[in-house]
Amino acid sequence: MLRYIARKLVGWFLMIAIATNLTYFLANAFLKPASNYTALRPPRTPAQINHSLALYNLNPDKPILDRWWHWMSQIVTHFDWGQSPTGGSVNDQVAYRIFVSGQLVLGSTVLSIVIGVGLGVYTASRQYKAADRVWQGLSVLSFNTPSAVASLAVVLAAIALNQALGSTLLPVAGAQSPEVVGFWAVFGSRATHAILPTISLTFISYAAYHLLQRSLLLDHINSDYVRTARAKGLTRKQAIYRHGLRTSIIPVATQVAFAMPALFTGAVITETVFAWHGMGEYFTKTISTNDVHGVVAVAAFGALMTAIGAILADLVIVALDPRIRVS
Amino acid sequence: MAINMPGAGPDAAEVRPDKAEAQEPGKTGPGGKRLSPTKLYMRRFARNKAALGGLVLFALLVFFSVFGRYLTHWDYMEADFTALSVSPGVDGHLLGTNGAGNDVYAQLVHGLGRSLIIAVTVSLLTTAIAGLFGTTAAYFGGKVERAMLGLVHFLLILPSFLIIALVGTHYRGEWQVLVVVLTLFGWMLTARVIWSLATSLREREYVMAARFMGVSAMRTIVRHLVPNIGSLLIVTFTLGVASTVQAETALSFIGFGVKQPDVSLGSMLADGQNTLTTAPWLFYLPAAMVVLLTVAMALIGDGLRDALDPTSQSGGRA
Repeated sequence: MLRYIARKLVGWFLMIAIATNLTYFLANAFLKPASNYTALRPPRTPAQINHSLALYNLNPDKPILDRWWHWMSQIVTHFDWGQSPTGGSVNDQVAYRIFVSGQLVLGSTVLSIVIGVGLGVYTASRQYKAADRVWQGLSVLSFNTPSAVASLAVVLAAIALNQALGSTLLPVAGAQSPEVVGFWAVFGSRATHAILPTISLTFISYAAYHLLQRSLLLDHINSDYVRTARAKGLTRKQAIYRHGLRTSIIPVATQVAFAMPALFTGAVITETVFAWHGMGEYFTKTISTNDVHGVVAVAAFGALMTAIGAILADLVIVALDPRIRVS
Repeated sequence: MAINMPGAGPDAAEVRPDKAEAQEPGKTGPGGKRLSPTKLYMRRFARNKAALGGLVLFALLVFFSVFGRYLTHWDYMEADFTALSVSPGVDGHLLGTNGAGNDVYAQLVHGLGRSLIIAVTVSLLTTAIAGLFGTTAAYFGGKVERAMLGLVHFLLILPSFLIIALVGTHYRGEWQVLVVVLTLFGWMLTARVIWSLATSLREREYVMAARFMGVSAMRTIVRHLVPNIGSLLIVTFTLGVASTVQAETALSFIGFGVKQPDVSLGSMLADGQNTLTTAPWLFYLPAAMVVLLTVAMALIGDGLRDALDPTSQSGGRA
């Protein structure tokens, strides 16, 4: 088991490394860090600009391979991901933002899997009844709602609710109130701030699991072994949960890994709308400020999230599928 | 994807019309006349009310995007400085104006058209590339197949959304550039699905026969392999339109897609974001449009999948 995990980890590590390095070259090709200095007054000469950029290993006159080597060796030796064109450390930014985003992305992943699989089982065992049709209609709608629309609709609803109650029950901006102190107060504030973004992210991502789980379970619900289980005296519910669900949940688990990048994209929008200072917001900020090193860090984070999702999915499959033996 | 049935494509049904008719016992055309595959598919599609609704909705949206501009004399780029952020119906602005004085109705028509053009082109291109790539990999097998699949897997792990945003913002949001990058990073997953279906086609007799008769590889792929996954390609195209609209909306919303002075549904949503409470119509209208468009495409895709799949049960007692 440990060797299996180790092999998977090495594979994913290589993939993350490739994706990160490729993004480094692409970002260098398409972003112009010098534009951060051209608007400064008094105006600076190109030589001065390049001198400032050289401090942060961004000098366009230096060969790209030299810059890459310096950047790479900094990461390998000090785990230092470089600086933004104006001198801020990427590490400091990411260290703070990674928790903000991780909380949002992982929270809504878990929620949407639970809701999606639950609904899949519920609707599959009531195929073509009213509940099935209503839930399926809702899922088709939510599956096809762009995340921008979903987030803004949630904001609108929350504003209406707050106005109706006359108090700010559900805050629509920020990850926590700036004035709270103390562990529990901060925890409570963060939790209430997380409700709305989590709702909007879960809303756009649960439907994929629901629709997939429903159709897979329907394929299995009438199969011989489920009927055998019923014949041996299990109730319908027991037969579905112990035998039908166990086989049909395996493809859903693999889906989780592939859904991660999409969820991260959704998080970019959600964080923009809800003014969360997470990796999603960093994504838009780094691209619009030509922050090469920041962009690369975002790419690495996205790849890491995908890897975590994929490894978790593999572990779930190993636990569920008796045909797979790892030793 | 439930369409791993060889013989589900339009060609296969044509050479075996009896089989196609046998799908419809007692419900064949008037007087037991031979039912052409197209008619059969149309009838099965029409039986699915949701899909039919989606098709009507999509037709209406296309009609609106093409002819909608004749209902107003405002241009989508023109700013009416005497009417900033007015609500719908005021000063001859059918659906009001935004903060810069642009007519929302004119923008909506133009933005819908822009989103539609991007989505349809990208989906057409990705489906074509994925179809050819997947079948070619499956046809050759061996080293070629492994190399091509390696390329697909490599592209799949790249942070495509980030790269699209990088390139898109570099070219200042020209929609043609957006089409190119969305296509370049949009075909891999489909190509992989198509490859896995086409591997079973590779072993079929007619493909073998073509190979041994000395038919060139390209010709075999285009004439025998691609038509046999035709139904899958059609469904992929429809669902691809829906997902491209989503991707384009997301990109334009955060400012890396279509940019001023051009307008798409995503950039209109970004406009509406800041005035959610003071000018909600700036959000409602593009939001409704984009949801209607994606839901319509999804319904059509589902209906087509059922209509083209010979073993499907969901179209009723076919």
